[in-house]
Amino acid sequence: MSRAAALLRLIGMLLLAAVTVCGCARTSAADKVHIEFWTMSLKPKFTPYFKALVAQYEASHPDVELEWVDVPWDTLQTKLTAAIVAGSAPALVQLNVPWAYDYALYGALRPIDDLLGADRSAYTEGAIADLTFNGHVYGFPHYNSVNVMAYNTALFRSAGITRVPTTRDEQLAVASQIKARTGQYGFSPALGKIAGLMLEEGLPLVENGKAVFNSPAHVAFVTKLADAYKAGGLLKDKLFSEDNYPASIDAYKSGRMAMLEAPPSALTRVRDDAADIYAVTDVAPVPIGARGIAAGGWLFHFAMPKGTDGAVAREAAAFAKFLTNDVNQLAFAKLAGAFPTSRKAVADPHFQRLRTDAGAYDKAMALGAQRMDVVRTLYVSGVPGFERLNKRLQDAVEAAIIGRKDVKTALDDAAAFWNGKLAPLARPTQAAIRP
Amino acid sequence: MTPRAGIDAASADRQPWRARAAPASRRLSRRAVRPWLFLAPALLLLALFTFWPVLWGSYLAFTEYNFLTPPRFVGLANFEDLIEDPVFFISLKNSLLYLLIVPAIQLGAIVLAVLVNNTLPGIKLFRAAFYVPVVTSVSVVGIMWGWMYNEQGLINAVLQGLHIVNDPVGWLSDDRLALFSVMVVTLWRGLGWYMVLYLAALQAIPKDLEEAARLDGATRWQRFWRVTVPMLMPTILLCTVLSTLSAMKVLEEVLIMTKGGPVSSTYTGLYYAYDQGIRAFNFPRALAASLVVSVFCVAVAWLNFRFLRPRHR
Repeated sequence: MSRAAALLRLIGMLLLAAVTVCGCARTSAADKVHIEFWTMSLKPKFTPYFKALVAQYEASHPDVELEWVDVPWDTLQTKLTAAIVAGSAPALVQLNVPWAYDYALYGALRPIDDLLGADRSAYTEGAIADLTFNGHVYGFPHYNSVNVMAYNTALFRSAGITRVPTTRDEQLAVASQIKARTGQYGFSPALGKIAGLMLEEGLPLVENGKAVFNSPAHVAFVTKLADAYKAGGLLKDKLFSEDNYPASIDAYKSGRMAMLEAPPSALTRVRDDAADIYAVTDVAPVPIGARGIAAGGWLFHFAMPKGTDGAVAREAAAFAKFLTNDVNQLAFAKLAGAFPTSRKAVADPHFQRLRTDAGAYDKAMALGAQRMDVVRTLYVSGVPGFERLNKRLQDAVEAAIIGRKDVKTALDDAAAFWNGKLAPLARPTQAAIRP
Repeated sequence: MTPRAGIDAASADRQPWRARAAPASRRLSRRAVRPWLFLAPALLLLALFTFWPVLWGSYLAFTEYNFLTPPRFVGLANFEDLIEDPVFFISLKNSLLYLLIVPAIQLGAIVLAVLVNNTLPGIKLFRAAFYVPVVTSVSVVGIMWGWMYNEQGLINAVLQGLHIVNDPVGWLSDDRLALFSVMVVTLWRGLGWYMVLYLAALQAIPKDLEEAARLDGATRWQRFWRVTVPMLMPTILLCTVLSTLSAMKVLEEVLIMTKGGPVSSTYTGLYYAYDQGIRAFNFPRALAASLVVSVFCVAVAWLNFRFLRPRHR
């Protein structure tokens, strides 16, 4: 046999072998149930955690093939919407409650009551209630959050403040005092979510189908915010941004702001980046409004997009339960500085016992855990076209706070716009705070 | 059929030019078809990814539609909705204000191109440096400028260090300044791109024209104004149209740096459409807004052609 012929035969055999191997691999992959799941902005910090869980689950479920995709939070809605429209949505997607509510409203999510079964009782009642829309549960609860108030004791001392504020009014007054006496900012309220802020304070947006946020109580509340802004008590950077958290934490870390309303995990960043500020940081509960709900509740969960059915739905539900079981939730909560939503994990000594040498972060975790019974994810539901209405309210409040418009006039104008939109609706609408 | 063929053959025998005419017409038709064959792949892609979405999107602007139910024709209702929304008018006004950037960017790019169009040592380094913002990701640019505009950022630090201002300026938090701050970023990003186009045009101007002007005693300014600028006119037209359309369609800078705030002062036409479509899930209103912005784009482009097209006598 010539050398060329031998070479050709060798190549032929190699090709045959490759085709056979590929064919076998394809067959074996085709036999498995493929579960694609999306998480929201968890890479790279949680990459080892999720890779270990995926490997563990695949080892114990050889018939399941998992694909983990982490999507940045600010592009997740766009990608998920496109994927749902294209019919290529993942089997599970991590969402926050307001987004899940919107998707559920459009019929883009699948209710999971049938898949949750008896495991429903493994999760806290608040978490299940957060995910119940129109009588159906729409997700497997994962982790939650609650705000605490970290404060710079050195700035408080310099400003002559001896008592930690317990109401929003006191907090605004303290903020102005801090600016006047130390030149630093007081704090940065979530003004980019003014509807939520009003609702926390027990100030309704709509009653009997009419906008009521121009009442004297609302005007007084916005006027106090405007006064604190004028006095320089509120941090200006990103003040009206929907997400003012990064700017707030930067200001607190650099000693430019005295109070930080944030989840306990924020204190790990203070501890790691600004040890001097951390050393003078103490924590207190955030002021609780008239509704008695602690601010900062923000439940994450795994939802199932519409069209996930049959074996894929069953296997995806089993995997979601695995991701959110007691052990894995506790491990994730410890790693993330978040709060679990499984009953057993919440009761773990990690959250309940405070060490004698506890720093601000440990105190914040203990404080947060005590508040898990009163924390809920707050958002407005039941108002058609809320995005547009909220935008009008948001603009009115911004203009009032920075002094471009009189507070009463700004709120009256926005209320008139709301009423113009709400009036033609067939039935009266209640801007209910969910839950 | 046969007799007819016979007649044709006989006639061809009597008139030989006819026999040659048939292949010639075939050649002609082949010549006409061939370019379309070459164009076909590109046209197919354009039809699929540009023409069809434009047509379908334009239709959806006249419907009530969410992505889960079939569209229902509602006439001009979505446009009436737009007219009622003051934020949409702010967006249009801001998009038009953004056009202020066009003369600034063109002038800056021409000056830069003239400056780097020489053979000084290290000039390539400068050319590359001016082009870096063009190839830098807009996310990186947005975050970087966000830091610089911050109250504790570089710009405020320099201004306060030089005692030009006492308190930090809210470049992105003051509703009177925010749009102009974002415009500066667009200007910074675009300069290098147009500089390269002008540089190419400058290098294509025949040297003998300037030589002749110099021999005629023209000063440096006269040579620039009477020789260089007229020769650059086609490029100026191209760059002006491109930058006008870019200015009308600005989105990324706003999305990354201000998200339309404060008090909706940095909303632009396209950001409004994005906001309505992607955040509020109101696709028909987003498409209606896009259509209006497109009409403005076409109008502004037409004005550019009307006033800047070189006139040949």
